[in-house]
Amino acid sequence: MIGHMLHINHVNKHFGGNVAVSDVCFSVEEKQIFGLIGPNGAGKTTLFNCITGYFPVTSGEIIFNGCIINKKRPDEVCRLGMARTWQRVKPLCNLSVLENVMVGAFASTNSPRKAEAMAREELEAVGLEKYGDKPAGSLPIGLKKKLELARVMATSPKMLLLDEICGGLNHTETETILEIIRKLRNRGVTIVFIEHDMKAVTSICDRIVVLNSGEKLAEGTPEEITSNPEVITAYLGGSHHA
Amino acid sequence: MIKQSIISVVLLIIAIALPLVTGQNPYITGILISVLMMATLASAWNIVGGYAGQFSFGHAAYFGSGAYTTMIMISVFNSNPLLGMVLGIVVACLIALVTGSIVFRLRGHYFALASIAVAEIVRLTVLNLEFTGGAQGILLTDVTFFSLDLNSKNPFYYGMLLTLALTLAITAWFHKSKTGYYLQAIREDQDAAASLGINIAFYKNKSLLISAALTSIVGSIYAVYIRFIDTHAVLDLSLSIEIILTAIIGGVGTLWGPLLGAVLLVPLAEMLRSNILGDALFRLGVVSESSAIGMFLKDGLAHAHVLVYGIITVLCILYLPKGILGFFRRGK
Repeated sequence: MIGHMLHINHVNKHFGGNVAVSDVCFSVEEKQIFGLIGPNGAGKTTLFNCITGYFPVTSGEIIFNGCIINKKRPDEVCRLGMARTWQRVKPLCNLSVLENVMVGAFASTNSPRKAEAMAREELEAVGLEKYGDKPAGSLPIGLKKKLELARVMATSPKMLLLDEICGGLNHTETETILEIIRKLRNRGVTIVFIEHDMKAVTSICDRIVVLNSGEKLAEGTPEEITSNPEVITAYLGGSHHA
Repeated sequence: MIKQSIISVVLLIIAIALPLVTGQNPYITGILISVLMMATLASAWNIVGGYAGQFSFGHAAYFGSGAYTTMIMISVFNSNPLLGMVLGIVVACLIALVTGSIVFRLRGHYFALASIAVAEIVRLTVLNLEFTGGAQGILLTDVTFFSLDLNSKNPFYYGMLLTLALTLAITAWFHKSKTGYYLQAIREDQDAAASLGINIAFYKNKSLLISAALTSIVGSIYAVYIRFIDTHAVLDLSLSIEIILTAIIGGVGTLWGPLLGAVLLVPLAEMLRSNILGDALFRLGVVSESSAIGMFLKDGLAHAHVLVYGIITVLCILYLPKGILGFFRRGK
């Protein structure tokens, strides 16, 4: 297991009789940008929720940095160095943009002054430095996504789980976010990335896992995935041939 | 920030000097004590209700813990009231810990309902126990506290003022500290807060414990001040609700809001109760006491102070959803 940052070992998640995630295995290496794709209802977000401690797994193991984390609370997982963003952004609306990021920074410091300095750095990294005093709730969606990134980065994570960080954004906004993600990887952060937009995923990911109906359908490099007939069928439906 | 410090110092000096002006009038001092008491209770509630966003409807339980523990310690063990106060804090914190560990798993409305349930359990327990005086309550005929003259109202005024200052100081410190940011993050979005490394249960319980301890201190001072308590006076749901209304109308989640709420509402309630408006009109000869309007003012309005209070609350919620202080801050 040495070198694996995150290891998903035969993870199952059932909701009553509903199988949301079924016997999924994969490993993420350090400093990879790892894509998790699949059609709606494939179990991507459920798997994220299991990894970050929001859902208990039905069976299986999740190992992060040599530590079994599938019995840990979300805040413990975060303090171990795994941070996440949300598909539906969750800004702390009545706090300012700067204060939002400060809340993240308090994960690694008790001093408000240090937290503020860290927060300002992260805001600059995503280009939100001008919006520091604005209430977070007043930002448009594109900037809220950037705020989410700045806020999780302020927790000083080793690994970042991004849940459709480009969802609902236009082409230019998506490009800016992808650029930020590349920069984060250069800072040494490992990234796992849920995305619908195949173009975004194939342009940025080193390795991709495809989920379909809770099961792992395929795993490989972007080239392998885009030429895999099973993946094409899952995305476009059985009757199409791409 | 400097402006705020200056305002606090000026307010504190005025508050310290006030009994020198009103010292001869125990009625006025009594109202001032009520204002300070409600301001402290609302400010203490604000820590858990306003900052952490956990709408506790059970704060009467903590107030009652302080009041009952102090009264029992004085009347049964003849102890110093201060010891009763300290034990009261311990009892309130124990109730808060039990409440928190059970009730904080619930969110939103369910938390509010469960907090009522816990407070009602406390009330009914006290009502049915022997050593708490049951429905009769506890009456204290004589109490000494070092060499203070407890027949004067001034010691209680300063006791309440000290507790209020302590509560506001803690709130102000919270406002700028990690804990304050964490509590507000929990209020805004619990899941997002957890994903940022915040131990939700720990911080909720921390805020509830501090709030309960401060509330209990006020209960202790109140009990010795009035020298009579029963479950209706110190453990009733209506007390919890009055605390919440004062905080909401003043402005939750702000440092000065609950104080402002108490300064406006307590004298207003007192004015309605004592029918100052009606009396003034009678004395000026504008309205005859025996006319229809006079009858209404004397019998109707004077008894309707709760109704008027309620209408003001409804108007505030409709038009000032962030409280009076929130309304004035909107421009910023």
